[in-house]
Amino acid sequence: MAGQMEKGQWNPYVAGALSGLVIVGSVWLTGKYAGASTTFVRGAGMIEQLFSPERVSQMEYFLKEKPIIDWQWMFLIGILIGSFLAALSSGSFKLQGVPDMWRARFGPSASKRGLAAFAGGTIAMYGARLADG
Amino acid sequence: MNQLLAGLITGVLFGFLLQKGRVLRYDKQLAALRLQDMTIIKFMLSSVLVGMVGVYLLHDLGLAKLSVKATILGGTILGGLTFGLGWGLIGYCPGTSVGALGEGRWDAVWGIAGMVVGAALYAESFPVIKETVLTWGDLGKITIPQLLGVNHWPVIGVFVAGGVLILRWFEKKGL
Repeated sequence: MAGQMEKGQWNPYVAGALSGLVIVGSVWLTGKYAGASTTFVRGAGMIEQLFSPERVSQMEYFLKEKPIIDWQWMFLIGILIGSFLAALSSGSFKLQGVPDMWRARFGPSASKRGLAAFAGGTIAMYGARLADG
Repeated sequence: MNQLLAGLITGVLFGFLLQKGRVLRYDKQLAALRLQDMTIIKFMLSSVLVGMVGVYLLHDLGLAKLSVKATILGGTILGGLTFGLGWGLIGYCPGTSVGALGEGRWDAVWGIAGMVVGAALYAESFPVIKETVLTWGDLGKITIPQLLGVNHWPVIGVFVAGGVLILRWFEKKGL
C-alpha cells in the first residue's frame, strides 16, 4: 500500500506544493490565512441561536467568534465542492459509510463507525479549539 | 473582491488539490498515524514549506501581514494531546472532513456533527478555560526568529532543509 499511487492520483509533493501556492495567493490577494476549526464554533453558535438567541448573544466565546458566515465558512464550503469536482473528474467519487481500514478491523457496521466518528469529532474539535488552531 | 466569494474560490482550489493528492480519506489519515503511508505528511510538508517561503517573501516585500497566534503552552500541549486522541478515532481533520464528504465518504457527516458539538462544549467551558489552562505558559505572540534574535531566512532555510531530509528518508523507506 505504502508508496503506491492509485489511478488519477497526483503526486503528493506536487499537489501539496500547489496547495501552498493557493494559500500564498490568498494571503497576497485578500490577506486571508486558511483555517477550519473556527467555522465549527460559528456553526455551533448558529444552531444554538435557533433555540436560545438570548443566551448565545451573551456567551463570551460567541462574542469572540461570532455566529456568522465569513471567509473561512465559505472556504470550507469550497473544499467540499472542490473535492467533489476532483473526485468526479477522476472517477474516484465513492459513496462509503465505513472506510476500508475501519471495516477490516472493526467490521461493516455503519453505526459503530458513525459513533466513533462522532465521539472522535467531538474530542478532536475540543482539543483543536483549546490549542487555538 | 467580495470576501465570501474569495473564500469560496480559495476553498474550491484547495479542496480540488486535497482530493487529487488523495489525502482526504480515513484510510490515508490512519495510515499516516500508523506510520504505514506518509502521503498526507508529504502533502502537508510540501504545502507548509512553500507557504512559509511565499508568505515571508510577501511580508518582506510589504505585500502581506503575518498572522501570529499567541503561544500558550497549556492550551497548545493539552489541546494537541486531546486533538490527537480524537483524530485517531475520527480519521479526519476539521478541514478535510468536509472534503471527505465531497468525495462521498459520508461517515464524515457523523464526524462533522461531533465537531460542532465539540465546538459548542468548548464555548461552554471557555470562561473557566480562559482563567486556567490559557494562563499556563502564556508566551505571547512569539516567533522562532524573534526568540533566537536572528533574521527569518536562516530559520526558513533550516526548516526547508530539515523537511527535505525527512521526505527523502520517507522515500528511501518506501513510506
